[in-house]
Formats: sequence, C-alpha cells, structure tokens
Amino acid sequence: MNKTMLHRVRLIFVIVIGIFVLLSARLAYLQIVQHDYYLYRSESNRFTTIDLVAPRGEIYDRDGEILVTNRPGYVVSLMDLGDGYDADTIAFLSEVLEIEEEEIRSAIDGQLYMRYLPLRLKSDITPEVIARIAENRWKLKGVNLEVHPIRDYRVGSTAAHILGYMSQGTIGDQDTLERWAEAGYEYEPGALVGQTGIERSWQPWLSGQDGEQRIEINNLGQLVNYYERKDPVPGHNLYLTLDLELQRIVEDIIARHLEAIRAKGKNPDARRAAAVVMDPHSGAILAMVSYPSFDLNRITQDYAELVAMNPSPLPNLALQGTFPIGSTFKMVTATAALEEGKLGAYDISYCPGTITLANDTKSCFNKRAHGALNFYSALAVSCNIYFYRAGLAAGIDALSHYAREYGFGSPTGLTDVPGEVAGVVASREYKAAVTGGEQWYPAETMSAAIGQSYNSFTPLQLANYAAIIANGGTHYRPYLVQKVVNSEGNVVQDRAPEALRRAEIGEKTLSIVREGMRRVTQPGGTGYYRFSHLPVTVAGKTGSAETGDNREPHSLFTGYAPYEDPEIVVAVVVECGGLGEEAAVPIAAEIMEYYFTGTIKGVLDSDADAGPPADQEF
Amino acid sequence: MPMLDRRLIKNFDFYLLLLVLTLCVVGTVTLYSATHIMEELADPLYYVRRQLLVTCCGLVAMLIVCFIDYINFQNWSRYLYLGSIALLALVLVMGSVRKGSMRVIPIGFFDLQPSEIAKFVLIVMLAKLLADREGHFHSLQDLVPSLLATALPMGLILLQPDLGTALVFLAILAGMFYVAGVKKREMLILAAGGLVAAPLAWFFVLHDYQKMRLMVFLNPGMDPTGTGLQLLQSMIGIGSGGLFGKGLFESTQARLRFLPEHHTDFIFSVFGEEMGFIGAVALLLLFFLLIYRILWIATHAKDQFGALICVGVAVMFTFQILVNIGMTISVMPVTGIPLPFISYGNNAMIVNLLSIGLVLNVGMRRHKIQF
Repeated sequence: MNKTMLHRVRLIFVIVIGIFVLLSARLAYLQIVQHDYYLYRSESNRFTTIDLVAPRGEIYDRDGEILVTNRPGYVVSLMDLGDGYDADTIAFLSEVLEIEEEEIRSAIDGQLYMRYLPLRLKSDITPEVIARIAENRWKLKGVNLEVHPIRDYRVGSTAAHILGYMSQGTIGDQDTLERWAEAGYEYEPGALVGQTGIERSWQPWLSGQDGEQRIEINNLGQLVNYYERKDPVPGHNLYLTLDLELQRIVEDIIARHLEAIRAKGKNPDARRAAAVVMDPHSGAILAMVSYPSFDLNRITQDYAELVAMNPSPLPNLALQGTFPIGSTFKMVTATAALEEGKLGAYDISYCPGTITLANDTKSCFNKRAHGALNFYSALAVSCNIYFYRAGLAAGIDALSHYAREYGFGSPTGLTDVPGEVAGVVASREYKAAVTGGEQWYPAETMSAAIGQSYNSFTPLQLANYAAIIANGGTHYRPYLVQKVVNSEGNVVQDRAPEALRRAEIGEKTLSIVREGMRRVTQPGGTGYYRFSHLPVTVAGKTGSAETGDNREPHSLFTGYAPYEDPEIVVAVVVECGGLGEEAAVPIAAEIMEYYFTGTIKGVLDSDADAGPPADQEF
Repeated sequence: MPMLDRRLIKNFDFYLLLLVLTLCVVGTVTLYSATHIMEELADPLYYVRRQLLVTCCGLVAMLIVCFIDYINFQNWSRYLYLGSIALLALVLVMGSVRKGSMRVIPIGFFDLQPSEIAKFVLIVMLAKLLADREGHFHSLQDLVPSLLATALPMGLILLQPDLGTALVFLAILAGMFYVAGVKKREMLILAAGGLVAAPLAWFFVLHDYQKMRLMVFLNPGMDPTGTGLQLLQSMIGIGSGGLFGKGLFESTQARLRFLPEHHTDFIFSVFGEEMGFIGAVALLLLFFLLIYRILWIATHAKDQFGALICVGVAVMFTFQILVNIGMTISVMPVTGIPLPFISYGNNAMIVNLLSIGLVLNVGMRRHKIQF
C-alpha cells in the first residue's frame, strides 16, 4: 500500500473516530443529562389511572324508611380486545340499542388513546335488551354488560323538591364550589352532581371519595396490567327529619283538594300549592310539599318538558314561591300595635262594615258590620276595619319592624336544600327603592296591615312565623337533615335544634296573640267549622290574599296544635285557591287530623252541624 | 483450489472473527428481548429462530468465502454485478410490496432483498474498477466507469423506492474513490455536482414520505403522530434507560409497543433502554473495534483490490452504524437502514457476514506467498 493510500485510510479512520465520539456524546446527553425527563415521559406513556366511582350515600326518613338509594343498572359497553372493533358487533348493537351505527363509530373515534376504558353505549338498559345481548353473546366481540350504580328514588315523585336530582351539568357557581371544597369535595367537570334539593346541598357528604386504579397501557391505550388500587370510600347516609308517611298524606290531601276545586270550575287557576309541617320547638321539618311534583326517576327524560310547562313544577314553592299572605299577617299588626302601646287586648273598637279612614273608604268582607270587637273577637272573625285601625295606630315602620322580628323579609335559614328566598316586607324604604323615592301613604299602611301591599312571603316563612308565636319567640333554623351516618354505620353528625335568634317581642304580647289564634278555631271563629271535630285545640289564622289581578285570591292558613303544648306547626298556601275556607283551611285541618288521630274523616258539608257562615271572611 | 496452508491459518484474523461473533450474540439476545413479547406471534421465538438459522448459514458462507482467494472475485465481479442488476430489475417487475415500497422477491419462506446483495457486489465491482487504474486518475473521465457502475444500481434502488440504501452506495463510492487516490479537485467537483443534484432530486426523485422524513428530522415537532412520534418514542426509550439501563428484557417502550419497528430499524432503542449508557457505549466500542480491524487489514492488504474491498466494507458499516444509531437519537434523519448484526434482517445478516468473510480473506492473504 502506497503512502497516499495509507494517509487517506488514516484520515478515514479519524472520521470514524469522530463519528463514534459524536454518537457517544449524544447518548451521554440523552441518557445522563436528560435522563429524568425521558424517564418521566416513559412513565407517563405507560401509566394512567381510572376512577373508581364511590357509591353515593343513601337518604332515609326519620324512621329509617328508605327514600333514595342506588340500584344496579346494566350498561352496555364496547371494548377493543386488541384487534379493533368488529363490524358485525357494531351492526348488532346498533339495532338492539337503537343507536345509529354512525353514532357508535364516531364515539369510537372520539375515544382516541383511551381504549383501556370500555366505551359506554347505553345505560340502564331494559331486561329485554339484556336478554337479546346475552343470547347472542357468543358472536359478539368486545361487548360488556357492566353493572353501574343508578340513583334510585324509591319514592318517585314524593318529596321530589326536597330530595332533588342529579345531572352532569356544569357547576358555574364559584361560591358553591368553594363551600364544597371546604367540605372536602373537589368537583370534576363532567361528574354527576346534585343539582337541586338535598342532593345538591349535601353533595360533598353524599358523594364519598372516588378511588383510583393505576393501570399500565400500551400504545393503543389498551389495558395491559393492574397496579396500585385505592378503594373508593362510600358516601355518607342521611337521615332526614321528614316523616315519609306524613309527607305522602300531605301530598295526597293537597292533590285531592286542588282537583276538587278545579273540578268545581270556579278556580281554574288553583294549580299550585305548598305546605310545611314543622316542629315549633326545633325547626325540624316533618313534611314540606310543593304541588305539583314530578318524578325524580324520570327527570332526565322529562326535564325539557317540565321546564316548558306553565307553571313549571320544578321550583320548590315552599321556599321559593312568594305570596301576599292576607289576613294571616294580622298577628304582626296586632303585635306591632300591642308592643308600641297603641292597643290593649280588651280595647273595644266598633266595626260599621264600611268606613273612611285616612281619606280612603274601606270595608269588611261583604261590607258586613262586625259591631263592637276587642282584639280576640276581631282576630276570630278576621275584621279588616279593626286591623286597619290597629295598623294606622302602630304605623308602617312598626309593622315592617315586627314583620322582620317574625322572620319575614329574610331567609329563615334552611340550608339543607338550596334556593330559599327572602320575600319582601312592605316598608317605606322598600317603596322608595322600587318607585324611585316615592313617599309612603297611610292608605298603604292599611293594606300592609292586612298582609297586602308589597308584603310577599314564602310558605316556609309562614310556618316559621307560627313557630315563633307557638314557642314563645325563638327563631329556630328550619332543617331537614337530622343525622349523618358514614358507610361504617358511625354517626358523624347528629343535629341539635339551632336557635338562630330571639324575636324581640314581649311574652305578654305573644300570649295575647296565641289566645287570639285559639279563638279563630272556637265557635264564631273563621276556622271553627273545619277544626271543631279535632281532639286537640288548634291555634291558627285563616287568610285570603288579593292577587292584584283578576284571579281568585290565594288561600292561606298558618297555625299550630295543640294550643296548650304545641307539637306541630302547619302552614298551607294554595295559589288562587279562593277564600281560606275553600282550600288552605280544610287542607291544614286534614293534616292536623291525620297527625293527631292517624285517620282523616274530614268535615263533609252534608253532615256538618252548620255550614260555614256565608258572610264571613276566612 | 489450493488447500489452506499454515501461513493462511496463521494470518487468519481471529480477533475480527471474535468481534463479529460477539456482535451476533449481542444481536440475538437483543432481538429476543425485542420480539419475545410480541403478542401477535404464535411462536415467541419466531424471529430469533430465523435470525439464528440465517446467522449460522452466514457464518458457514463466511468461512467458505475464506477458502476462495479473493483475487478470483476480480474476475467474477462483472458477472456478480450483472446478476445483481438483474435481480434489482426483477424486484421492480415482480417484487412484493413491504411498507409501501417494492424491496423483496419472495422465495418460499425467504424474502430475497436484492438491494442488500447489491451493496456487497458494488464494493467488489468498484474495488476492481479502481484497482485496475492503480491510482492513476487524471481527469473526471477516468471516473466515469465507476460512477456509472454505482449509478445504475442506485437508480434501480431509488425506484423501489429505498433512499437509505441508495445513500449507502454513495458513501461507499466516496470512501473508495478517496482511498483509491482520486484527487481532491475531482472529489470536490463531484461533491459540488452532488449538491447541485440534491435540489433536483428533491423535486423529481424523492417521494413525499421521504421529503416528510427529512423535514421532520429538521423540525421534529412538525409531525407528532407519524415519523416524529417514532423518533420521540425512540428517544424516550433510550433516555429513560439512563446510565445503567432498565435491565435486560425490561424495555417498556417495546413491550407496550410505543416504539415502532423495535426489532428492525429501531432495535438500538431497545438496547439503549435496557442496557443504558454503559451498554450502549460498550456496543459502540465493539463496532469501533470492528471498523478499526477492517481498516487495519486494509492497510496490510497485499494489493489495492484487497485494500479497497476492506475500505468499502468499513465505510459501508460505518455509514450504516452512523445513520441507524444516529436516527434513533435524532442526529440523523429517519431512513430504513438496519444496524449491522443487531437488527432483524436475513439478507443483511448474510451479506454482512459475507463482507466480513471477504475482509478475513484479504487479511489471510496479506503477504505475497513465497514459493
């Protein structure tokens, strides 16, 4: 080999050395300098976690009757077993599940690199579909029948507004999210969460803690191996203050009466009603009805229709519907006049039937003259002229002050279900705010004194009002959830009554008011006819409130029993139900009758000792 | 044919043989690691068995080649060359398609890959053409026969299309020209001509997927699901191996199929992931010693023909190692060039062993035999 060649081979050898140094240097960079990064990439290539959904807590009534639970539902899902999806299988599923093939295929495409997850095609399929799939199992490839918990509302439409429903909707409300996070629940977009009722307010406790399963996957996203598993922690079970039996009865009573009223043809607008039954010594709610209701088990299918209905049955009228409360407001007027020293219980006032007060001509119902009345007889017969005078004597500021003392104009504090509204107390300030500074006239004080004007309250406030009167001035926080029990059966929370505040109303005034309410159900009182046959003494007040349009008035009642030792408060509002006697009073009477006797005989017009006096307001 | 005399035995390069055998063992073990977990295989040892069988055949062929004085190849070169051209033409006519290009002729259980054979034949052919000139290159005209001899098979291979293998031809040509004594001026003119031809090739010769690969090499982020993904997964494999590697048979990138072509073009990724930096550098060292040994034999060859054969073989291996390993660690574009002795490939294994046989042959006969 000549010198030139030798030289040139050596130069090639130098190039070879250069190449190997370059490759080694690059390897050192990747495998030593960048090692952590690539190791992380390699791990994230192959590991992923799947969520293990925690069973949601169950809900029971006060006696342990089951209200909401979970039942196994069959979900059909399709899985890639490693050789793609089978066309015949897709065609079969499309036919049986009534889903377009196109839809299945686009769902498959949408899965991308998540093939370790079975593709859910249809939830909660019927036994017929299960049978058809099972029969053809041998020829179907990658089809799974998974059991998946489905929320089961055992009571259907009973207490629907209280229990609430769940959906996959987004939770836009930052406040709620923060409160949930404080309670240890992190919302993940797309998760099923409670949207209304207890399902929503108690979401963090009901949901439990989802578990996790770490899995190894391959390049197609197919599951290869199982690794660590963190078991899900089931949600807490809730025991309510609600009495399922009573709740059902109240719903039945309301439905029966409203159908009867509409059947008579006089009040076609009597379509909605609400009732609250509460323990005045604790705020525990025994029954809370918003009529009409809807079936929680069908909410997904029916939702659009329910929203479109007029009126929609979805809002909880008991705490979201506000109504003028008519004569049931008269205890506020009396309290204001008594507390301000403008009235004595035995002061006599004369009702001429029609009178001009503060340049305004006012009448009692049917212009009937009640004659000489003291406070007790005036409340018993619900004399408007008496309370116009009392209201004028006390003044609007005292009226609005004592209305607030009775809990009107702000939420009563029920937090176990969301959405309670404040209502409006008629006042100088409110009028000025909504009219742009207009002044208050004495004639309006007279309207406010009989629960009209701007006064507008919820049925729950009406119940709370009677409770404050009944228990001697304590505003208890109304509540629905009595006990929280974890999945191991340990009680993690047992609610004690929570006194939010004391109404600043003298005990003497309250006892005068209570006696007045007792007189309502005594002979001559507006409630006598309906309550006379009960084994207990009832204290209450009837009312009919002008709607402000041409519809029939709202029919109202609020009261408690027994008078001597109050056990329950009952408040009833029937929208456009007519006079108190026509709707709310018989409903309340039947609720009390059931509560104290266990049966409902009611008062039939035919066998009543005497029909209701035709010229009395109820 | 003369019997092997003692001097031939004495000059037999056992050192080179040992290197090759070691590489074959490393290759077989790595191939086992990369393929035994492939679920689609009924027989987990399918690839290993085939490769071992071919390696054994190749080793026997290598030893047989040693018996035949390489001088004979000088006379046979034109027939070998014509034969390889015929096969390359045949593959275009009746070859079967593998991954979008026509590269093989199926013969029963074996797929004949003429482009691999053509590499070996070209080395012999060029060695003869260049050695005949005995270092006398006065003008470009003197290079024309060699250029044509290279261009013909290259053109046929580009038609398959197989850019990677065609580039190996260019590397072999350049290396052998240089060592054969082509003057620097001519070398520069040819290089300039190549640079002018490159844009033409871009527009008229290269297929879209080849352009794509080159562009992805220049900008790896542009194709994160295709070639870019292969490259990324390969680097993830090698990088995650770290200094000591994940251990033999512990490559998750291959087992979970994130790494494509993990038993052929990207087998070095599997090796790097399992054996780490230390293993990878050890393998590089083996290759380096192999090249060194071949070049050593080149400098000790008794004639130019032998020396040029060795240079051609050394350049072929070096280029393939550079491009293959370089591709797995993103210093070279992605081309379908296998890693000698390690990648699965029956034709490549046989041709590589034959090439080594020829080098051993040259080494055995490095001194003129004294009569």
